[in-house]
Amino acid sequence: MSTETPTTTEVATPAPGDAATKKTLGIGFWICIGWLLVMVFIAVFATRLPIPDPKFNFIEPGQAGPSKGPSAAHWFGTDKDARDVFARTVYGSRVSLTVGFIAIAFGMFVGGTLGILAGFFRGWIDRIFSFMFLVLLSFPSLVLAIMLTALLDRKLFTISMILGVLAVAPVGRLARATTMQYADREFVIAARSLGAKNKRIIIRELLPNVAIPMSALALLGMAVAIVAEGGLAFLGLSVERSITWGGMIQLGSDSSKTLQNQPWIAFFPIGVLFLTVFALNFAGDRVRTYFDVKEISL
Amino acid sequence: MAITLLFAVSALTFGAMNVLGDPLFNILGPIARDTGNPKSVKLIEKAKNDYNLDKPLPVRYGLWVSGFVRGDMGVQFSTDGQPPVTELLKERIPRTVTLLILGQLIAVLVSIPWALISASRADKFVDRLSTATTFMLVALPGFALAIILKYVFAIRLGWFPLTYRALDPLRTRLFQMLLPGFVIGLPAAAIYQRLLRTDLITTLQEDFILMARSKGVSKPRILFKHALRPSMFSFITVVGLTTGALIGGSIVVETVFRIPGIGSTLVEAVLRHDFPVVLAIVMIVATAFVLINLLIDVVYTIIDPRVHR
Repeated sequence: MSTETPTTTEVATPAPGDAATKKTLGIGFWICIGWLLVMVFIAVFATRLPIPDPKFNFIEPGQAGPSKGPSAAHWFGTDKDARDVFARTVYGSRVSLTVGFIAIAFGMFVGGTLGILAGFFRGWIDRIFSFMFLVLLSFPSLVLAIMLTALLDRKLFTISMILGVLAVAPVGRLARATTMQYADREFVIAARSLGAKNKRIIIRELLPNVAIPMSALALLGMAVAIVAEGGLAFLGLSVERSITWGGMIQLGSDSSKTLQNQPWIAFFPIGVLFLTVFALNFAGDRVRTYFDVKEISL
Repeated sequence: MAITLLFAVSALTFGAMNVLGDPLFNILGPIARDTGNPKSVKLIEKAKNDYNLDKPLPVRYGLWVSGFVRGDMGVQFSTDGQPPVTELLKERIPRTVTLLILGQLIAVLVSIPWALISASRADKFVDRLSTATTFMLVALPGFALAIILKYVFAIRLGWFPLTYRALDPLRTRLFQMLLPGFVIGLPAAAIYQRLLRTDLITTLQEDFILMARSKGVSKPRILFKHALRPSMFSFITVVGLTTGALIGGSIVVETVFRIPGIGSTLVEAVLRHDFPVVLAIVMIVATAFVLINLLIDVVYTIIDPRVHR
């Protein structure tokens, strides 16, 4: 086997004429950003919005079964405990967005730092860090996440950190590859010959160049983290005693009867989760083609 | 390299399980904390002896590795430790493997024609529509796709059974796996399609394609005979890489369709804090993952002789 890591992929560049002809982010990008801003808004101001209490049981006397379909009073209907699905979806965005944001921030910081150091100093530092990334990538991410949630607690911050650890290796590899690409360029040599120290070269010369492809990865990585959190929540392994989209979907689909008779319980959170992940993916992809990032490793 | 990697992976997993978790507590429950009671102390001593917990960590790791290599993955924590982990997994692994093979098969069979159609009509309406579809499939989390397909094809249309039944005859069980297979295969197909399409478009601009075209070779023949093979390199790598992600996806799919494979077993074991089972599954999955990547390297040199150095 070659000494080069066996899991490296160079995903081919977009076809000529695909992106080169038009160098704008496009209307789709801004629609996606708009949706994400709406999500952030409702997550931040969930308690102030004029929506029903997500934990209140809306049981009316003389009614068969607590769960009802969408109506003017309950836009997304009510679930098996007669709680408002719309309000719960709004509150569910809090966990998803927090986890997504903290996870990718952690991944960017740790992975980015390790990757840049590995790419800049090379030698044994590179070998150690690259091996670390390789070990992390040897676990399918959901398996690693499940294992860690089993060992640690299920607080919001812990879950975010666990998913952050998963982001370290892909981010680190991208940062390493990009740093290597720039480390021998003229402007770095120029800075060095002017007497710049390593620290200055890394922060002032390399970091701005590495940050661009990483910004595309940030959006894609956030999507991955949100999906992973949803998966954990769906399996009952995410943040305890909180409203999560994954948990709501699980509630709406745990028996085929529920799914058949009250599909709205599962399908509204699925829809919102899908739109959010789609918006992040699409925006991330646009940013990537816009800056013409050649390599992804996610 | 692969051996070093597996060593690091297993040491890390084993270490994390034993340092972060409390194995004794997981075996005995509250009794493990009750050191004042002589009866509990006796049980604690017995458990420590049975599970080698009184030995230092490196020794326990050594014992575990030598057992694992010989196919003995220890006894389950909790209850009476029956059946042994190896027996339990021997029964469940084939189901997951079947599901994964089915998923990959569906993914490859769907993505190749899909990519050929898209690439031959690059940037036309069909191609744009299919790109939009791939975006949607990739953005749909596995459990969401599982529920949607289950709702549409199993509940509304009634074409497929709702769940998997382990006691049915083989052919029925394979049929029951079909819908779960699609849940695993479709998102993978979307990833493969995107990649293969891009590579095909690049290949189609090569001189030898122009040559073939000027000789009057028909369009389908150019696509299949001339363009496909040189476009397959990154496709094959990604098929291998994606296997890991599919194992993750199968955890969720097995839960939705109630397939007792290793994915759903992992979740149950985690909820029960049954470390030997978790450890064995994580190690099997990681080993399989590393070996698949090794295999990809080999396949790669076969289809692309240029890699030989």
